[in-house]
Amino acid sequence: MGDTEVKNRKVNRNKNKNEKNKEIPNPAVDPRDEGDGESTPEALPEELTEEPILKKSASPKKSEKKQRKAGSATAGQSLADLPTLAVTCHFNLLPMLLFGVALATRFYALDQPNSIVFDELHYGRYAGLYQKQTFFFDSHPPLGKQLLALAGYLGGFQGDFKFDKIGSSYNASVPVFAMRAVPALTGSLLIPLVYMIMLQLNYSQWTAALAGFLFLFDNALLTQSHYMLMEPIILFFAMSGVLCVLKFRALERSGNAQAHSYSLRWWGWLLSGSIFLTCALCVKYVGVYSYLLGLALVGHDFWEKVLGNLSLTKKQVFGHAVARFFAFFVVPLMVYIGVFYIHLTTLVNAGPHDSAMSSAFQASLEGGLSSIVRGQPLEVVHGSQVTLRHAHGSPCWLHSHAANYPVKYADKRGSSHQQQVTCYVAKDINNWWIVKRPNRTDLAVAAPLDRISHGEEIQLVHGITGRNLNSHNVAAPASPTKQEVSCYVDHNVSMPAQDVWRVEITNREEIGDVWHALESMVRLIHVNTSVALAFSGRMLPDWGHNQHEIVGDVMINQPNTIFNVEEHRYTRNEDEKDRQLELMTTDFIPLEPVVMGFWEKFFELQIRMLFISNENVQNHMYTSSPWEWLVLTRGIAYWVSPDSNAQIHLLGNIFIWYSATIALAAYCSLLVFYLLRQRRQCFDIHEEAWNQFRTTGEVLLLGYVFHFLPYFFVDHTLFLHHYLPALAFKLLLNAALVEHLYYLTRLVFAKQFFNWMCVLIVLTWMSGILMVFNKFLPLCYGLGPMNATQILDLKLRETWDFIVHKP
Amino acid sequence: MTAPTLICSKNQENGLNIKKMKNSDSIGFKLLDQFRDGRNDKIWWRVFALLMIATVATRFYKLDQPDHVCWDEAHFGKYANFYINRTFFFDVHPPLGKMLIGLFGYLDGYNGSFHFDKPGDKFEEHQYMGMRIGCAVMGALLVPLSFLTVWEMTFSLPAATFGGLLILLDHGMLTLNRFILLDPPMLFFISAAIYSMVKFHNQRHRPFSLPWWSWLSSIGVMLSCSVAVKFVGIFVVIFVGCRTIADLWEILGDLSRPVSYTVKHFMARAICLIAMPTLLYMGIFYIHLAVLSNSGPGDGFYSSAFQVGLKGNYLHDGSTPRQVAYGALLTLKNAVTSGAYLHSHDHLYPEEIGGSQQQITTYAHKDDNNNWHVKRHNKLAPSWNSTRPIDFVRNGDLLRLEHFATGRNLHAHRSLAPITIKQFQVTGYGLDGVGDNNDIWRLEIEDGEEGQILETMLHRFRLIHYNLGCALTCTKKKLPAWGFEQDEVTCNPNRRDPNAIWNIEENIYPRLPNVSFRAYEKNFFQRFIESHVVLINGNSALKPKEGEATSKPWMWPINLRGQFFSGGQLQVYLLGNPIIWWGNLVFMVFYLILWVSVGVRTKRRITVTQREIMLQERALSACGWLWLGWLLHYLPFWGMSRVLYFHHYFPALLFSSMMSGILLDYVIESIPLSLPKNSFNASYAAILSATLLILFYRQVFFHWIFYLFSPLVYGLVRYADTNSTMHHLHWLSTWEF
Repeated sequence: MGDTEVKNRKVNRNKNKNEKNKEIPNPAVDPRDEGDGESTPEALPEELTEEPILKKSASPKKSEKKQRKAGSATAGQSLADLPTLAVTCHFNLLPMLLFGVALATRFYALDQPNSIVFDELHYGRYAGLYQKQTFFFDSHPPLGKQLLALAGYLGGFQGDFKFDKIGSSYNASVPVFAMRAVPALTGSLLIPLVYMIMLQLNYSQWTAALAGFLFLFDNALLTQSHYMLMEPIILFFAMSGVLCVLKFRALERSGNAQAHSYSLRWWGWLLSGSIFLTCALCVKYVGVYSYLLGLALVGHDFWEKVLGNLSLTKKQVFGHAVARFFAFFVVPLMVYIGVFYIHLTTLVNAGPHDSAMSSAFQASLEGGLSSIVRGQPLEVVHGSQVTLRHAHGSPCWLHSHAANYPVKYADKRGSSHQQQVTCYVAKDINNWWIVKRPNRTDLAVAAPLDRISHGEEIQLVHGITGRNLNSHNVAAPASPTKQEVSCYVDHNVSMPAQDVWRVEITNREEIGDVWHALESMVRLIHVNTSVALAFSGRMLPDWGHNQHEIVGDVMINQPNTIFNVEEHRYTRNEDEKDRQLELMTTDFIPLEPVVMGFWEKFFELQIRMLFISNENVQNHMYTSSPWEWLVLTRGIAYWVSPDSNAQIHLLGNIFIWYSATIALAAYCSLLVFYLLRQRRQCFDIHEEAWNQFRTTGEVLLLGYVFHFLPYFFVDHTLFLHHYLPALAFKLLLNAALVEHLYYLTRLVFAKQFFNWMCVLIVLTWMSGILMVFNKFLPLCYGLGPMNATQILDLKLRETWDFIVHKP
Repeated sequence: MTAPTLICSKNQENGLNIKKMKNSDSIGFKLLDQFRDGRNDKIWWRVFALLMIATVATRFYKLDQPDHVCWDEAHFGKYANFYINRTFFFDVHPPLGKMLIGLFGYLDGYNGSFHFDKPGDKFEEHQYMGMRIGCAVMGALLVPLSFLTVWEMTFSLPAATFGGLLILLDHGMLTLNRFILLDPPMLFFISAAIYSMVKFHNQRHRPFSLPWWSWLSSIGVMLSCSVAVKFVGIFVVIFVGCRTIADLWEILGDLSRPVSYTVKHFMARAICLIAMPTLLYMGIFYIHLAVLSNSGPGDGFYSSAFQVGLKGNYLHDGSTPRQVAYGALLTLKNAVTSGAYLHSHDHLYPEEIGGSQQQITTYAHKDDNNNWHVKRHNKLAPSWNSTRPIDFVRNGDLLRLEHFATGRNLHAHRSLAPITIKQFQVTGYGLDGVGDNNDIWRLEIEDGEEGQILETMLHRFRLIHYNLGCALTCTKKKLPAWGFEQDEVTCNPNRRDPNAIWNIEENIYPRLPNVSFRAYEKNFFQRFIESHVVLINGNSALKPKEGEATSKPWMWPINLRGQFFSGGQLQVYLLGNPIIWWGNLVFMVFYLILWVSVGVRTKRRITVTQREIMLQERALSACGWLWLGWLLHYLPFWGMSRVLYFHHYFPALLFSSMMSGILLDYVIESIPLSLPKNSFNASYAAILSATLLILFYRQVFFHWIFYLFSPLVYGLVRYADTNSTMHHLHWLSTWEF
């Protein structure tokens, strides 16, 4: 039967070519008929006239199988003719069974080891800070941490635990089980999810189960799901999003797409797809690749099915475009902002990372800068005592101290030997400066206030030493191309004081011309030489106490020249001694707090997140490069027991990883082969098989490429766990390829024997996977105790660095 | 037909006779028609000639000014010196560009005597013009090449003229191409490669003919040259690769030909675009390595075995035993780029760092304190006049290294290293060679077999601490004054650190016969590969320092900030022509809109006139490729972590300017089409005059803008007051001239 069927189709297809698609069984447009509009040749090429290599195959027992989708007839057929497998009741049990095993593996000994494992150090700490409503700064969006915090809250976590270093034990106040349950649960849900994705891609339930199997028994996914880490959460959201988008596509592509349009299901799948994908993005920014995949799929369908559908009116097309725009741009934006809204409204207390933010931001937090700056005068006047903070990048304050530049530097250059001016990263009484008009000698502030505005000239007097901020044409200590800044000391060497500076307020459009504390961003331009006071980024050697260098820079328009007044008060004492005493002792009188709106905070946080990355761990021992991920060159040590060699080490199931890499290569080669053959008008496989193969490429291969390729272009330190989203797509592709190979076996070999061989090979492969999984299981849970031999026994590759610290 | 009218209508360089033009409408129309048509050879050549004249005039005007070293001339001039003096040097770029500059200087009679110390140095009597002229010629050729490229892509004379003009009138291109820099040769080779590519594409109807072969080989030559000037040439290789795949795909789809025909095409391309350029590229390196045969400042970047081949290097004439035996006196060199010798001296680590044991550092210079005595971990070293059989050092052996001058053993223990506190401290410990268990190291030869004898120079190895399992590493961080600013040595738990690899350089052992160092000399292929490893490491090491203001890729297309070429009296500032740059951006967006709208129209089967389709196809297909080229030359910079400069954008600018030329032509041609047609003549006249006006105004505009900003190129006398004419040109506050 198979033989004739195939032949008939062959004939049909040839007819189709000539008679313009009259007898296509599937209404979907044949991809080979469209494309780039090349002319179809009159005579068919030689290759087509050859007898196809198809032989007789066993008749499929269609009747025994309950087909869920009309379109999947042929696809399902390829595996359906194994009599033993055609027991219908397995159908629904399979995902349940897989899910059960997933829960068992993910939740097994979930609260063990009862100590900090790897990045729990960060995520656990952040969850704790949420309990305390304390602000923290992280370069990833907050959704994942919020989920952990929520679980912790439900588990009774008060946030009192100090996450100090990897390996230290949790005490009873930390609900370890509750918090680890979030990744464990999402990680388990991943398995039924991938099962459904494979079904949605028209694969048989056996292939879908195989995909679930691969996810279930990959050690890396298990390890990652077992601790408070972000990857299972992001994978869960990404995969749910992909599934919803696929469901949506199925509606679009079904026979009566028109009828489904704007139906409840239509909206449901579309919106839930975009929301899930945005959630993935809100856990870590790498989720954006999943979002882009979803966008690409929906966009492609819109282009082909809606725009290309000439039966739709212009208005209808426009309506579809607007609906999709709403779902994929407006909704995600709302979700994203919503997540940050929760973040910023929850975290109202000052905390450890405040200094990463602007002074105004810090001042808006309870108990942080606000307690210091509260009630300080707003307008900077003659006689103001100020601290000047370097406004962008790493925080530091303009500083001077009673020490001079060395007469000669190490590289034999000379200096002015005047008093050092630096940028100091800590708060210190030597950070105080007094603003002064060049022509006035008194310093006490009295009414009427002498306000300083944009463009006016001032001098800055160092509070403790009473010297003036000065610059001159002498090379700076660490950046010889720039100009030295000092506090003027008259050495009687005919080097006059050049200590007048012009105030330029860069954001005067918003703040106004008068210099305000906190809000005004100022540049100090040296009047004699037109250079700007700048932070050079270099560090001074020992003689400068390793503080940062301050220079005069000709490049005026750069972020490093911008400062703002952070702490501020008016001088009350004219006498220098009293003034110094005042600087050292006085406190502020609180008046009213700075209020900063959500939007201001949101945008500032976004900008800081974009430009400050705190994840650059240089020279970490377990870093790996994208190429190494393909062959699992390196794992990551997560935790090691203090008493034995029992340890947790992130490492994939090497058998799965290798076969997935091979499968990827095989899929790509097959794809190129089919494309080249089709270019010559030779169609080697059935149309349905090709459609399935192509859709697989569109979703899975593209997904893999989206999640993998960008890593070649990033310059921060990479670890193995960055590969997991790409791996997920690769595993699905692997399962898909198994079914395709089975289909090819049936196509080429007539004998039932080969089909059995095929199944046997797959089963052997699966049992191999189980064996490897089992072998490396102790590394997932940190089971012990283990001795050195046991650990070294696991070291299959020379490059895996397990920790052996006990005999 | 008179020449002045021609100038006016065609070239836009000189708009003197516009009135005359309007008076003689009929002649003007006719000329314009011919200009638009472009098939008239005479007109074509005149336009081309005028463009060339303008090019020569702008490129060579005041070429000798400023007569001092500008910006990176300080580097590339110096490299030219090295070629002329044949001394070995190291630079992060491949050699061809610098070889060409050297060659220009050599042909001009420059003897390499000027030092090019720093920007601002006066050339005085030195022959620098040869190099400047050479670079300016290469840079000037960009204009005709762009003109011809656009011509071959569209066969529209106006489009080609616009394309050429946009390159001609851009200050950035002009400034960048007048100095002794790598950019003129690189841009030249890139645009020559693109030109060859379109020329080759147009030969597709007569495959395997002589012109077909010659243009194909020309692509290959230009590709390998552009890569050999700077590694960014890789992008144009990818670009050509995409085009080639597209061509082959077309050929494969031609069912009237057998598959073997495609294979034939494929083979031809494989030979001309892969095999031949590779050989040529290696040839360039061969010349490079052959010319630079004398020892010079670049030696230290390369391995010991590499340095053997350099005349004047102390390794060149030395000799040493090949195998290492216990009892030998060794120097150990860190086997990475510019690695130094393992060193110790009679000074202790300061008290607060811990241990108060003797310092171990690496030191770049030859010194007696670099000598180490090698002995078995459990035996004294045999004396040199012993008669017992020689005991060789083998892979996997446990050994001790005793510092020859002070008698301390190389030692590591569980305390923090002075700077890299995540690693262990390495010290000199013991007295006269007697130490403790922590002095024992295991030798691991890279890719070595068990029991293999360690060989001088040829083997790279790690020393693994027996007790701690960490590897002896040089962290390349400078110790403070107490360590004499030598580099820190630590014991690194990460054994895979590339800095943990060492090799033996000197090996003194009288009982073994000496072999001349020359025996270790690397052959060309090894030297070729090592050069590349060093180049790539050098490039990735060019990281911006913290807090340093660097140029970011997003700033480039909007012309946000230029680059100072020369300060002082005569200021030169690299800045694009804002009208051209911003115009290019507008046209790029326009292209996307056009592309989408044409896509939607085809999808919706909306019919348009034949002429519109023709125009759109012409513009879209050509611009699509140029867009791809722009992307390929721009996007990769976003992912680069090395230091970036404004001038990295110029290859991309070539593409976007050509694209703007084509789209400008498209706009001018298609706007009249959408106007209502009352009568043929009236509408025709309207179209023509509209075209003419736009052409003319653009020309005047360009001319004006070009004139306004030209002092930036030719040197600006630094103004002291704010009344200077240039002061009003600070359209963006970030322009710093």
